[in-house]
Amino acid sequence: MRYNRIHVVLFLAPILIIVLVLIGMIAWTVAVSMDKWVGMAPVWQFNGLQNYATLFSMERFWNSLRNNLTWMVAFIIPSAMLGLLLAYGLTLSGRAESLFRPLFLYPLALSFVVTGTLWAWMYDPEAGVINNILKSVGLGGLGQPWISSPRQATFCLIGAAIWQYTGFAMTLYLAAIRDIPRELFEAAKVDGASDIGIFRHIVVPNVTQATLVTIAMLTIFSLKVFDLVWVITFGGPGISTEVLGFFMYVATYRQAFVGLGAAISVIILILAIAVVVPYAWWSMKRLQT
Amino acid sequence: MKNMNMKKWLPKLPLLFILAVAALVWLLPMYTMVANSLKTEREISRAQYYLPPQGLELGNYVTAFGILKRGLLNSVLVSVPATLIAVFLGSWSGFFLSRMRFKHSQTIFFTATIATFLPYQVVLFPLMYLLMLLDVTNTKQGLILCYLILNTPMAMLITATFFQTFPAELEEAAALDGCGPVTFYWRILLPVGRLALISTAILIFTLIWNEFLIAMAMTQGPYAQMATPVLAGLKGNYAQVWHIQMAAAMLTSIPPLLIFIFLGRYFVAGLTAGALAG
Repeated sequence: MRYNRIHVVLFLAPILIIVLVLIGMIAWTVAVSMDKWVGMAPVWQFNGLQNYATLFSMERFWNSLRNNLTWMVAFIIPSAMLGLLLAYGLTLSGRAESLFRPLFLYPLALSFVVTGTLWAWMYDPEAGVINNILKSVGLGGLGQPWISSPRQATFCLIGAAIWQYTGFAMTLYLAAIRDIPRELFEAAKVDGASDIGIFRHIVVPNVTQATLVTIAMLTIFSLKVFDLVWVITFGGPGISTEVLGFFMYVATYRQAFVGLGAAISVIILILAIAVVVPYAWWSMKRLQT
Repeated sequence: MKNMNMKKWLPKLPLLFILAVAALVWLLPMYTMVANSLKTEREISRAQYYLPPQGLELGNYVTAFGILKRGLLNSVLVSVPATLIAVFLGSWSGFFLSRMRFKHSQTIFFTATIATFLPYQVVLFPLMYLLMLLDVTNTKQGLILCYLILNTPMAMLITATFFQTFPAELEEAAALDGCGPVTFYWRILLPVGRLALISTAILIFTLIWNEFLIAMAMTQGPYAQMATPVLAGLKGNYAQVWHIQMAAAMLTSIPPLLIFIFLGRYFVAGLTAGALAG
């Protein structure tokens, strides 16, 4: 179809304007991170890398970063593995797939605030659902302090996130398994391979792409996690469940250390770019073909 | 016949059993939420949360609705226009990017992918400043603007992914009739791509409806506050009043859950396209 320069401008203006606004805002955040801004009114006073130096000297920052890393490991691996196992199980179950699939997927439609409200109660040490159910089946001894224990709390939050996001990994894996040529499965069956053998030798090697996408998506999620922390523990007990996204919000909006908050944002940005740029590069290459 | 069915099903029984147990675990939180949102205060105080409610205490929903109604209305008034505009603008640019060959399409696509997955924290504070500059702080218009900026790149990415799968003959036939890009977009692409647009809109609506960080940071007080910050605030003010909290959580979930139940196919299509963009 023929088009001219006016068409190019007309059609691309919306996305170009928005991308430019976003780039401008990122530049603004970077500038503020090198500024002495404290309090809600703007203070434009160059401060060099002082905010970063302050940040790196704070135990609270390293605590948040450590928790983000815990999220990455303890959230991504179980979600991806459970997602893959469920996807394969559903594929094998034949017609029962359409019955089971929505039951693992529906949490994705919920807000993290809803998930948080719900799981805050599940995990409550005294009046909580889990401990109460354990007590009523005579297993009260297995009751845990859950979110009131600094050591368990982050893992409790991660548990809620796994519940919500396993369906996401499952969906990507279901699509990937469906794309594997039928002949591979049939040939393996003729050779007498078991379902487990097929899983190891045919399914796992052929879903690498879905694994990459799942890991990229869930890594980005682990970097920006905020809502669940805010609603379930508010960073507590103490600061034990704080993550960078939460610390940034508290530093900026509650304590008005705007420059410091911007520095945390820049750290989040750098970590996100490390994942998003290779991912965007990869999807661009795929678009080309 | 019966025998054959048995033979087919019997080896699958262990698998179906495992799946059923896993599904029950996945349903337990939802069951807890629904069952306890319908209990009286006395039933709740007995702490037998696993039991179904004795009656249907719909009064909880009346109370919860009283607290949430302003927030729910604001959520509708923000999510619906923001979704419609984002999908329109996104598909407008997405069409050109996916169907026309020109020099910088790769660069634009690359940048839009990065913008789609940018953590909101990175632009949170400047976004607040932008709203102040435009004098739309603490208004629904301000929220709509924020969500437009943050979701249009995703709308573009997803629609472009869908549009790319359409056959090239679409343009060839149109070009023969002397149809330009604008006419093509309105007359042919929008009707042909309606499923793609619905999938994109459903995903983006759900994202905005469920969003919390922007919704909380950009508004104070009930005037423009959406349902999610109101629900989060409930936890502080109604601590231990679990049945009201659960009823409020249910009310906030109803629109996305209805979409999931009745339009689940599109929801999944949008989600997959979003993640697998390209």
